[in-house]
Amino acid sequence: MTELTNAFEESALPLRSPATVMDLERLGSFSPTRLSFARRLTRMMFEQKWQASCTQFELNASGHGSAVYRLQTPTHRYHVVIFSQYLEGQRRTDRVIAEAWDLTFCLVEGEVDADLMSAMSANVPLQEAGRQHPKLLVISRANKSVRNFEVFVSALASGQQPDIEYVKEAGYLYRTTAVYGNGKFGIADYDRIKGCEDFQQPFSAQMAAVYVLREFSVQQVEHIARARDSVRAVTLKTDTRRYLGIGNSTGLGMAPFLINHPQLISQWVWARERALAVAVSQLPKESDREKIVALCRRAIAYLADTRVEDEPQRVRNGEAQAELMQVMAWLEQVPLDDTLWQQLLKWAQTQLSLETQELLTTLLIELYPQQVDSLNDAMFADENLDLTPDMPLIQLKQILETHFDWAIHANYECEDARYWFWYQSAEKEEPRLGVRGEELGEEKELALAIAPTTQRVYRDLVELLHAQPRALTVDLVIAFPEHMRVIRRIQTMAATVYGEIRANLWHRDMKPMHLLRAKLSFLGAHRFDPRGERWVRVTFFQGAPLLRDYEDAAAPPEVFDDWSFPVAPGAEFTAAVP
Amino acid sequence: MKISLNELQSVCRKAFAGMGFEAGHADDAAAMVAWMQSYGLDGMKALNEGLECVVASAALARPNVIYQDADLAVVDGQHMSVLSSGNLALELAFAKARIRGLAVIKIRHCRQRQLIMGYLSRLADRGMNVTAFWRHSQTPITEQVVGFRASSAVPSIRVFELADTPEDDVPNDGITIVMANHFDLLPKIRSEDEYELLACHDEADLLAARHQALAEGLTVDPEIWQQLRGFAAKTLVEASEQSRSDAGPAE
Repeated sequence: MTELTNAFEESALPLRSPATVMDLERLGSFSPTRLSFARRLTRMMFEQKWQASCTQFELNASGHGSAVYRLQTPTHRYHVVIFSQYLEGQRRTDRVIAEAWDLTFCLVEGEVDADLMSAMSANVPLQEAGRQHPKLLVISRANKSVRNFEVFVSALASGQQPDIEYVKEAGYLYRTTAVYGNGKFGIADYDRIKGCEDFQQPFSAQMAAVYVLREFSVQQVEHIARARDSVRAVTLKTDTRRYLGIGNSTGLGMAPFLINHPQLISQWVWARERALAVAVSQLPKESDREKIVALCRRAIAYLADTRVEDEPQRVRNGEAQAELMQVMAWLEQVPLDDTLWQQLLKWAQTQLSLETQELLTTLLIELYPQQVDSLNDAMFADENLDLTPDMPLIQLKQILETHFDWAIHANYECEDARYWFWYQSAEKEEPRLGVRGEELGEEKELALAIAPTTQRVYRDLVELLHAQPRALTVDLVIAFPEHMRVIRRIQTMAATVYGEIRANLWHRDMKPMHLLRAKLSFLGAHRFDPRGERWVRVTFFQGAPLLRDYEDAAAPPEVFDDWSFPVAPGAEFTAAVP
Repeated sequence: MKISLNELQSVCRKAFAGMGFEAGHADDAAAMVAWMQSYGLDGMKALNEGLECVVASAALARPNVIYQDADLAVVDGQHMSVLSSGNLALELAFAKARIRGLAVIKIRHCRQRQLIMGYLSRLADRGMNVTAFWRHSQTPITEQVVGFRASSAVPSIRVFELADTPEDDVPNDGITIVMANHFDLLPKIRSEDEYELLACHDEADLLAARHQALAEGLTVDPEIWQQLRGFAAKTLVEASEQSRSDAGPAE
């Protein structure tokens, strides 16, 4: 990680400052880019000629039973195993406290023999309540979009194609409610798979499992339609298949990840910012300008098709559409010169909303695949927050004053600045937010608010340094053992460009939704639809290639790589590649 | 029962926090137990054999430094587990070795000394050559020496029984650690001494054990596991209607 960071520093490309990028509201405006993990997966599958096939499909007329899909990479074989069951309507909930789902599934390393299948069928449907096999890399569950499911089955069974307007409302047949990796409930540790190039990137195994589920969701509705009326039933048109994604409901459970993995987040953000800097440094050609205008047009069409329930998000999407029109007008008026992209960013910073600024980041990165795609390789980290005990305390003080000035000088005393506390609920051990002084559990607060803790370290450091001017860091941690964790973090993160989210996570105005969106954008989620302040629904893989596309030697490369901002079938699709 | 390494580390971290360890110390103690368990050295057993001591040690995060100069330190472990403040004592020695090239630290009167290996591994991984020595018993005398090569997280371990017992009837419940910044300190037992080798773990054996643990899961005693989960549960807040209101949309 340090090497990459240094490589950037030597290259002298102007990166945006951490103060700009790591602002929580801006992070909460991020859109997925071509570096996002969903995009990377389909690109990698195409480039490495992965083969995907359904090897078992044993469903009854109602679509209940099991299915197995094989994924063959150049070096390994994996299987996605899916268990579909009847679920009473009143038990269907997106809440993490649910105990049953329409389907459960897993990604398995290697072959699936009878013993393993038996163990999985007994445990995978139980999810957290089961003991899972260590050959499993991912376990997850999903619930139907009941309305879409019935609309699709009815239409196909009667020989019709479903009304695409329903997919604009919810772009999927199933939505997952948790996708577990890294040793959860007995499955394989990330330590085991990170040496394997297929799933070395964080969350890449989870994305692969969800991607295969999308294929199953279509095959299942077609199967049920055939069972309902074998004479009249038709299959789903290809463009509608592509327009279907997989939904996901996500809550606060995702938030601590961004705080607890600062080195990884730093790499994710660094790769994104580096890609932007690389794009902006290119000399624009007329074809580039045409391409970004085409992308703007596609993004506008995508936003117009995006139906969200959340009013503030709907307003933001509307603003973004209008502002992208302004961007197109700007691009058509400003002369094409070497600094066009710099001028565009500068203009955007003063004239456009954060939402549109970050959409522009996505579009600019999209222009230069050859120059930016290798940055995907930088999006992981060997995570070790280590102490440097021999660091003179005076040096640690300088680090705090230079890199953590935003934290050490803030006010954490007023009521609003200490409003929230984070804790872990006994129910499925999920993180929650409580109001300090009003809700129970303050004494068990999770140490997620880095900023106020850093200020306490600074104050104690200054006091110790006054008494012992030649003291070392180890003297501070021996005097204040409670600071051990955050001092490690401060020393480690000072060597990175990004990583610390510059916000007081206690503050009354803090929006946890921003944390969720930042992470989801890196995973590749779109159609961001907040439900209240702490829950969101998103869609993955809408517009992505189908598994059968990988078998089609005639399929053009853009099917696998140019599927951002999916628009509904029938609408004008603007290819980004002129 | 089988668990993953991540589960072990996560439950241990919460269990230590539930016992009263400060956050950073809970992290370290969990990593120390998980390290031993993942290399097939039964960290859970080592933990369980002194669990009461660990609970009693929870609040004692600050090492009692009796003596120190530029390259030597003596710390009183106060008959507590090395999980409580062993990390800070070792960081003290690490700082001295980085500055002076070589440092020696003696932690007197400490318990659960096996568990210190997990933290020594971290220091070695940070580029320090480390050797630790302690005596298990006096009659007969059995000794253990653990050596880590700089930048390797995997040690060589020797446990041996001496044939001749020197006149030393003072039980040694301490641990002595030598750290060298620039040269190896790997243990090599002198062949002319009479001893019976009781245990010998080389890097290759330990790596194979870890590989197996990651592939097949770690085997742990369900009773100990439940006990740890009980401590971990102390960090959780009982669910309420308010907390449930965060748990996603009601359909």
